[in-house]
Amino acid sequence: METNENLFEFVKVDATASEHIAAPKYSYWKSVFRKFFASKVAIACLVISSIIIIMSIVHPFISGYSPLITPYVNKPSMWYLPPSSEYWFGTDHVGNSLFDAIWVGTRNSLMIAFVSTAISTVIGVIVGMFWGYSRKMDNIMLNIYNVVSNIPYLLLVIVLMYALGRGIPQMIFSLSCTTWLGTAYFIRVQVMIIRDREYNLASECLGTSRSRIITHNIFPYLISVIMTAVSRDVPSFISYEVFLTYVGNGLSEQNASLGRMVQRYSAYMSGSPYLFWIPVFVSALISVSLYIVGQTLADASDPRTHMV
Amino acid sequence: MENDNREVLVSVKNLEVTFTNGKRAFRAVKNVSFDIYKGETFALVGESGSGKTTIGRAIIRLNSTSNGDILYKGKKINGPLTKEEKREVIRNIQMIFQDPAASLNERATIDYCVSEGIENFHLYSSEEEREAKVDEALSSVGLLPEHKSRYPHEFSGGQRQRVGIARAIIMEPEFIIADEPISALDVSIRAQVLNLLNKFKKERGLTYMFIAHDLSVVRYFSDRIAVIHKGRIVEIAPTEELFAYPLHPYTHSLLQAVPMPDPRIEKNKKLVVYDESKRDLSGEKPVLQEIRPGHFVFANEREMGEYREKLRKMEEENGVK
Repeated sequence: METNENLFEFVKVDATASEHIAAPKYSYWKSVFRKFFASKVAIACLVISSIIIIMSIVHPFISGYSPLITPYVNKPSMWYLPPSSEYWFGTDHVGNSLFDAIWVGTRNSLMIAFVSTAISTVIGVIVGMFWGYSRKMDNIMLNIYNVVSNIPYLLLVIVLMYALGRGIPQMIFSLSCTTWLGTAYFIRVQVMIIRDREYNLASECLGTSRSRIITHNIFPYLISVIMTAVSRDVPSFISYEVFLTYVGNGLSEQNASLGRMVQRYSAYMSGSPYLFWIPVFVSALISVSLYIVGQTLADASDPRTHMV
Repeated sequence: MENDNREVLVSVKNLEVTFTNGKRAFRAVKNVSFDIYKGETFALVGESGSGKTTIGRAIIRLNSTSNGDILYKGKKINGPLTKEEKREVIRNIQMIFQDPAASLNERATIDYCVSEGIENFHLYSSEEEREAKVDEALSSVGLLPEHKSRYPHEFSGGQRQRVGIARAIIMEPEFIIADEPISALDVSIRAQVLNLLNKFKKERGLTYMFIAHDLSVVRYFSDRIAVIHKGRIVEIAPTEELFAYPLHPYTHSLLQAVPMPDPRIEKNKKLVVYDESKRDLSGEKPVLQEIRPGHFVFANEREMGEYREKLRKMEEENGVK
């Protein structure tokens, strides 16, 4: 066959054509949310925990409930009413609505858990990052950590509560007094893993200061790890509050909390079991759903899960 | 040789780098000396663990030195320095890393990665100027300004390595240490990266220290070669000289290991594995000595005699041809 040159023409080569990236723009937070909302269980747990949190913030303003206000204390017909359309969760031994009490109690329990978590996470992360980065600090901190982590945590909290007295601020202080050290240790290990990676050396070669390396090179890698720590801490603080108050070492009469309700109503377990089981159920529900939300968020914030 | 009147940019004198792990000390680099002239590509060749990366990192101050001097334009740059002097070193010396996947911050955009250096030194007067500089650096390595908002994991290995080159180039350094810049890359794009480095060398009069273990690449790329074995330089020579007259047995075995694209030659090739324990190491301690102008070999007096003999034979052989 004869080739006819006229049939061919020169094609212009675009050198940049091969450099284009066809994939849609990657956005870290968008991918985190996409990954998070891919899990149906996590969405369900997010809905449950949001409802509980919103109710516990809003409802106390409507009900104005306080364990010290007992208008029906002398009206036995109001006592021990089982759950009905009027009193959704029934009434207790002084005639107060359990539905009102539950939200005030949940609010206080959640507040203690969230504030304690925030304190121990912020202190823990900041200390942990410097701890992991500085070899000098490591020696000192490791010794402190070894001593403190060998004191039984519960014993320490109970002793602190005895010394400081009952109350919400005292409880927050006692709970977060040493937990930040655990978070810091957790972060330290992670920082040590990524500290000597080559991209940090590259940043050093470009003259990046150590504090900037910590905030720009190391911190973004820790988001997922921090989320894991938070999602582990919040439910554990809720259950510590419930437990400590139940054994009579937590909050006092004037503060409603899930722990207080469990403690107070455990006496009526046989006569009016709903008084005991509803607070227990709510505390279990919020703990589990917050834990699952946190864990899913921790997984979703790890970019290694974004590629698939 | 012309070397005498060329400006020495980096001079390494009796360098020693020791790593300590508790009580055990390991000397990774032993008594290494060499000069790098302005505008040349100086290659450091050796097997894994021979200390070539350690030397590169010692020059850029990532590894501390236990003995010896590193001079940059006659000024000592190892050991304790003032903040100003450190900044001066960083401004003038940059590094290109081996693994482009590991040496870029995965959580930062390309914009951040490339402008990290100029941000640290405020090498711009306005945000527009910074952007213009980043755009220029990216296009000089064949990337597009639209890549700025992308993350490193979205790029191919070759593109990532070019980002690594862009962030070194944007600092306008005089001296670049390229630590096996193409070892982690696909064979098909190695040439692209090497050509890019050569382009910058021509355009900006850069000086390179090229760390590699691939001799065929080194032959193409560098002007002078230092062969390093177990933390010691055993031979330094201009590239063609080294390939024509490899004197030290280690250099010889290293050159021989380069595969030839001819199955018949390959089949009949007898590989010489360098084994120091089988060598005659009698006599006084060897030192690096000049055997021909610009050609140094690590030997003592007895070995020098042998090498001279070997060199004479090689020259004869070449002359006959």
